[in-house]
Amino acid sequence: MNVQNNNSVILTENVTKEYHDNGVAVHALNGISMSIERGEFTAIVGPSGSGKTTFLNIISGLDRLTQGKTWLAGKLLSEMSGRELSDFRRDHIGFIFQAYNLIPVLTVEENVEYIMLLQGVPKTERRERVHGVLEQVGLEGYADRLPTRLSGGQQQRVAVARAIVSRPALVLADEPTANLDSHTAVGLIEMMRDLNQESGMTFLFSTHDVRIMERARRLIVLEDGRIARDEIQAAAAGRQA
Amino acid sequence: MTLYLKLAWRNIFRNKRRTFIAGTAIGIGLAALIYTDALIIGMERNMIDSATASFLGEGQIHREGFQETFEVEKSIVNLADVSARLDAEPIVDRYAVRAMSFAMISSPANVSMISMVGIEPEKEQYLSQIDEALIDGGYFEGNNRRDIVIGSKLADLLEVGIGDRVVLTAAQAHTGDLAQEMFRISGIYYLNVAELDRGMAFIGLPMAQQMLNIGQNAHEIAVRFTSNEYGRDRSLPFWSEFSTDGNEAQGWVDLLPQLEAAFELSDFSTILVAIILFGVVALGIINTLFMSLYERMFEFGVMRAVGTRPLAMGRLILFEAAALAAISVVFGALLGLVVTWWSASVGIDYSGIEFAGVTFRELLYPELALMQFIKYPFWVFVFTVVIGLYPATYAARMSPARAMRESF
Repeated sequence: MNVQNNNSVILTENVTKEYHDNGVAVHALNGISMSIERGEFTAIVGPSGSGKTTFLNIISGLDRLTQGKTWLAGKLLSEMSGRELSDFRRDHIGFIFQAYNLIPVLTVEENVEYIMLLQGVPKTERRERVHGVLEQVGLEGYADRLPTRLSGGQQQRVAVARAIVSRPALVLADEPTANLDSHTAVGLIEMMRDLNQESGMTFLFSTHDVRIMERARRLIVLEDGRIARDEIQAAAAGRQA
Repeated sequence: MTLYLKLAWRNIFRNKRRTFIAGTAIGIGLAALIYTDALIIGMERNMIDSATASFLGEGQIHREGFQETFEVEKSIVNLADVSARLDAEPIVDRYAVRAMSFAMISSPANVSMISMVGIEPEKEQYLSQIDEALIDGGYFEGNNRRDIVIGSKLADLLEVGIGDRVVLTAAQAHTGDLAQEMFRISGIYYLNVAELDRGMAFIGLPMAQQMLNIGQNAHEIAVRFTSNEYGRDRSLPFWSEFSTDGNEAQGWVDLLPQLEAAFELSDFSTILVAIILFGVVALGIINTLFMSLYERMFEFGVMRAVGTRPLAMGRLILFEAAALAAISVVFGALLGLVVTWWSASVGIDYSGIEFAGVTFRELLYPELALMQFIKYPFWVFVFTVVIGLYPATYAARMSPARAMRESF
């Protein structure tokens, strides 16, 4: 099913996720309905166990929901097979995780190139885009390095480069600054916000980081698997404008 | 495809120690298989040589039924014609005619039942090793018709030495009359085969023919072929061509059925060793791949998240198994080559040990063969990859969210 006449990148309808932990039913998400529009820079916040990561996993097709519906870029995820979901993520979503983001045996260039290799992008174009995006994240000259020879901040920049290189409709970032020092974290957030403003790429964060919250245009607060608050931050919106 | 090959190759070197241990285990398994195979080939050849070269020959021709009854009357039909055909047979290298019967040998000290064998000494030396195994005296030197060569254990039993007199008594053909002749011990041999050292006595063929009253006839023709494989080949036309007119031609494989049975047992042992080794290796491979997989759960989760298809994840694990197998196979083949080559150059001393009625007389030399380095490495490689299917399937079915969740 396609959702037409809609500017939504993500649309969820009564999303529920229940799983069992040692035989005990845990309601991670309780009927979440929401929409994320193209070009948003949105943060999902909430205490540990509130369902932030589960929500990101559900809307990206990494996990299956128990009830409800999720559309991503107009596609109903529950209708897709595992392979279709893989291809869909490859083509429409960029991921940034908290840590261990990169494939350690591949160089920076190969890590960034990875998704384009899966997409079958020709070599010349791959190289051009990789070098362009590495320049964008300030890592020109690091192409041949292995991730282990980079700092945490540099590794996250590579992760950002990998997430945006295929020009996805949506970038999902799960606690991207959790392991970074304050200075590096601010630099990374600013960089992502610049990318959002320059290219109109949609960013959705799950975070505890107040610096991201401050810079997010929209803040969705989750508590016990429910949306407790969903608000546009005037200050951040103003800064973006 | 290239991407996953590259990834797999690099991944197996992420934990060099583990790869080294797993590769060594697989490699030693392969080397053990190669060595076992070489040892069994060497052992079979040694046993065939011991069994056929001592006295038996690679093939024999008898009158039908002679083998079962040892009746003196059952001499070879048309011996002259058979000999002429053997002379013209291209696959026959040498042959020797024998007349034989049960007989009683007596000395002043003792008496014993033996097989009396009349031989042509010049021809016999190419078929048996009596001449080479002499420990005292000579091998029918001087053409004395009353010379007799006996085994060392028989000499001990009779308490005789070179030059001593013994008397042979045998029943004659057709009449059953007893013929008795006196002989002088001219040679004593030691073959380290109990049956030959204690139970046989060799005299000249004419004397045996005379004693047994069989004219110019004989009971056995022992044959040595141009290739030692012929004696094992039941489909060889030679056997049917010479099994005519009431005669029967047989290879050692039929003359010594226990030897073939022993070889089948050896082959079974090889299979058993292979199953045990492969089982151990399989557990090692599964353990290695799963340890490697569990260590990288989050990484696999990330790879799946960014769009790697489930099948591609499985393929990556399979390639890692293949890369591990490739390294192990090269190592194992080299180790197998070195160990087998060394063992083949120094030999293994099993001499005097009897197995399946055959006593090892020479050092046992494992035999290297090209097939050992094609067949076993190929199967170890295939086996390793097949074993890799289990962790590969696990990786392919892994939910990305669960992989990332369980990695913490």
